[in-house]
Amino acid sequence: MKSKRIFIKIIYAVITIFAVLVFNYFLFRVLPGDPLAVLARNPKASPEMLEATRRLFGLDQPWYVQFFQYFKNMLTGDLGTSYYFRQPVASVIGSRIMPTVIMVGLAEVVAIILGIAMGVVAAWKRGTKLDLGTLGFSLITYSMPTFWLGMVLVVIFSINLHLFPTSGILTPGMTYPTIAAMLADYIRHLIMPMFTLSIVLFGEYALTMRNTLIDVLSEDYITTAKAKGFSNGYVLRKHAMPNAMLPMVTIIAMNLGLVVAGTIQVETVFSWPGLGSLMYEALKARDYPLLQGVFLLVTVSVVIANLIADITYSYIDPRVKD
Amino acid sequence: MKGKFWKVTLVLLLCASLVSCGGAPSSSEGIHSFRIGNTQDIDTLNPLTSELTIGFEIFLLIYDPLVRYDENYEPVGCLAESWDVSEDGLTWTFNLREGVLWHDGEPFTSEDVKFTYDTMIEHEQGFMYNTYLAGITDIECPDEKTVVITTDAPKANMLMNTTPILPKHIWGEIAPEELGLYTNESPVGTGPFKFDSRSPGVIKLVKNDSYFGTVPAIDECIFISYANTDTMAQALSLGEIDAAFNLSAAQKSQLEKNPNISFISGQIPGFTQISINLWDDPASGGNPLLRDKAIRHAIEYSINKTKIIDMIYGGEGEEGTTLLNPGQYYHYEPTADELRSYNPAKAEALLDAAGYLDTDGDGIREDANGNKLEFRLITIADNTDEVKVGQMIASDCKAVGIGIKIETMDDGALTDEIYAGTYDMFIWGWGGDLDPSVMLEILTTDQIGNLNETYFSNERYDELYQEQLSMIDEEERREAVFEMQKIAYEEAPYIILVYDNNLQAIRSDRWEGFKLIPQDNGLYFMNLTFDNYVNVRPVAAK
Repeated sequence: MKSKRIFIKIIYAVITIFAVLVFNYFLFRVLPGDPLAVLARNPKASPEMLEATRRLFGLDQPWYVQFFQYFKNMLTGDLGTSYYFRQPVASVIGSRIMPTVIMVGLAEVVAIILGIAMGVVAAWKRGTKLDLGTLGFSLITYSMPTFWLGMVLVVIFSINLHLFPTSGILTPGMTYPTIAAMLADYIRHLIMPMFTLSIVLFGEYALTMRNTLIDVLSEDYITTAKAKGFSNGYVLRKHAMPNAMLPMVTIIAMNLGLVVAGTIQVETVFSWPGLGSLMYEALKARDYPLLQGVFLLVTVSVVIANLIADITYSYIDPRVKD
Repeated sequence: MKGKFWKVTLVLLLCASLVSCGGAPSSSEGIHSFRIGNTQDIDTLNPLTSELTIGFEIFLLIYDPLVRYDENYEPVGCLAESWDVSEDGLTWTFNLREGVLWHDGEPFTSEDVKFTYDTMIEHEQGFMYNTYLAGITDIECPDEKTVVITTDAPKANMLMNTTPILPKHIWGEIAPEELGLYTNESPVGTGPFKFDSRSPGVIKLVKNDSYFGTVPAIDECIFISYANTDTMAQALSLGEIDAAFNLSAAQKSQLEKNPNISFISGQIPGFTQISINLWDDPASGGNPLLRDKAIRHAIEYSINKTKIIDMIYGGEGEEGTTLLNPGQYYHYEPTADELRSYNPAKAEALLDAAGYLDTDGDGIREDANGNKLEFRLITIADNTDEVKVGQMIASDCKAVGIGIKIETMDDGALTDEIYAGTYDMFIWGWGGDLDPSVMLEILTTDQIGNLNETYFSNERYDELYQEQLSMIDEEERREAVFEMQKIAYEEAPYIILVYDNNLQAIRSDRWEGFKLIPQDNGLYFMNLTFDNYVNVRPVAAK
């Protein structure tokens, strides 16, 4: 029974992905602006040159031909060629995916672990200074502009304290004697953007955890468990947390799915070559193949993350009988 | 469980701090590495398709043209050692330099020149260089060291042709349809620098030891792109990079105060302007009132350009007048009578005399039929400077009774409006070149639907444009170009706001040997020469 349900969920996921892709395909083309028009705005371009480029990208074909061509190619793994970079979309995205996943992924993990921890502590010690401190800190960081925080941290840690470099993923032009040396340099560059992002993401987890847990802690069965004489730690671990985790699973799944969407603010401040700034560049240039490629990646990632969350529910919550 | 969690976190933090105590790594002993920061990452290494100015700069270092500019912007032989032109001006003979090798060791010959030019002309490639090859009808190679180029009319800009010469033995293997898509991952040229490697945001070049000209004093030249200018300026102050260009006015005061940094603001061909829709057609979406020259002149009189330059561009720029930059040989400076500088009283007088009066007392003038002088001014949202400029213009115009409604959009949406002809006015900019034809061509009738967004059309202007293309005598050409600029200034399809400068800086405590090119109001980088890259060297140890 269970595996049949899972199979159906997977089918729905695939249909969702496909629907989003078709929708995106037309959405991008409805935007005003023609990819070649921006290319044309240079005194040295000639009309013949533009026509040649138009033909090169198949933009002179009728829309349904382009549509079919795109989806046919995608099914064979060909995501097309980026108008802006003149390279296969897959390789443009490929060069940026690792820095994105590493930086955003690690930041999310740190934010989740710390957020849940602090949320639990705040809920348990509700009303104390620790709770109010956590609440205040979470609200402030959650509403803080990310780029501003990044720049403040750069001023403090890079410029005044000289602890970390200002930007990039590696020191440009360096040759490394060992892999360990390169890794160390990479980590040095990674810390600031990751730290910046963690601070901003922390608030969401801490607040949600705290509020959910407070709700759960007010339930009758918690009082019963305490009355039975169980230790606080045991009550927390065995009774409160499993119930409070359900909303957290949703949020965590969504956010981990969105890791591949990158984070344009942090990427801009730290010149981190990620998918967030790539998406923005592609949008500005009306680079449809690249945009579609990035959106494909994000869609698949989010849908899969949700699928996993969905399946996880049916295991951790016996009430969910989907 | 909690205890274990904290222990793990503590260990991670300790590792992080250990790693961070490494300090800034310096380049290996003995290797002179020059790092330059800029704001654009190159789009592609293929000179046939690259569109960005950073590409132009990097190709200048890797590839050579036949003839290049020296520090006084005079043509000096590069791959061509000498040349002469026939009596009728239609046949050019270039004698190529002997013993030049490509970076991969193959010998350079006249076939490479013929191949490069033919490819660009026949297959309509070479976006940034194509216009320099206009008018060429035939290219012959009588021997390995000679190229004979025939043109259909005398070609005034033949020696301003900075087209990079590409190696036939590599590019000749590519099918013509594939040329646009060729990634050129390891460019091979003849230039003073060889391509070494590339990663996102970083391009590394190394010196070419066998260069026929001056071998660069530095060993490596690394271009690093920054997503924002503040971080770039910080990196320069910290010494992470040695130089930077495309800085913004916001960093000027901080960098100027630093005694280790040489900060300059130099003119770069090009300007920021208001383009006005002159399309006279029922399909036009532009406000017909703008077709009255008096209104266009009045708008220009009402704008306080000096204030705009001071407030938005930090004083780094000159007031805009005509199409070609001041300081260039071909620039036409309007006479005192012609010049339309800030004079709101004159603006009001012009509008009064033309019959535009504010009859209903709402502060906005109307024409005889009651149509209000209200126009849409579009600015590109991403160009925050231009948005602010638009706001200042709106308040300047309001003071003389012209209503301006500002709209911001992204450049894609704006280009749509341009090609549909539905805009009234917009603010944008053009980048130019030393060859006057490049900028002058924009306002020709032929370019309507392409570069000529304003639909400006003037027979005499078009006539002069064709004539000056063939005027070999510089003074004669200058007269023609002057007349063209006068016409454009008088008809005012553009209100040229400012010739904005490029802000650049070098760590002068570590490096010497560079200079401003040209001497007056010049630049260190993006100055159409590679002299500074070749000559810069570490300050001699004391």
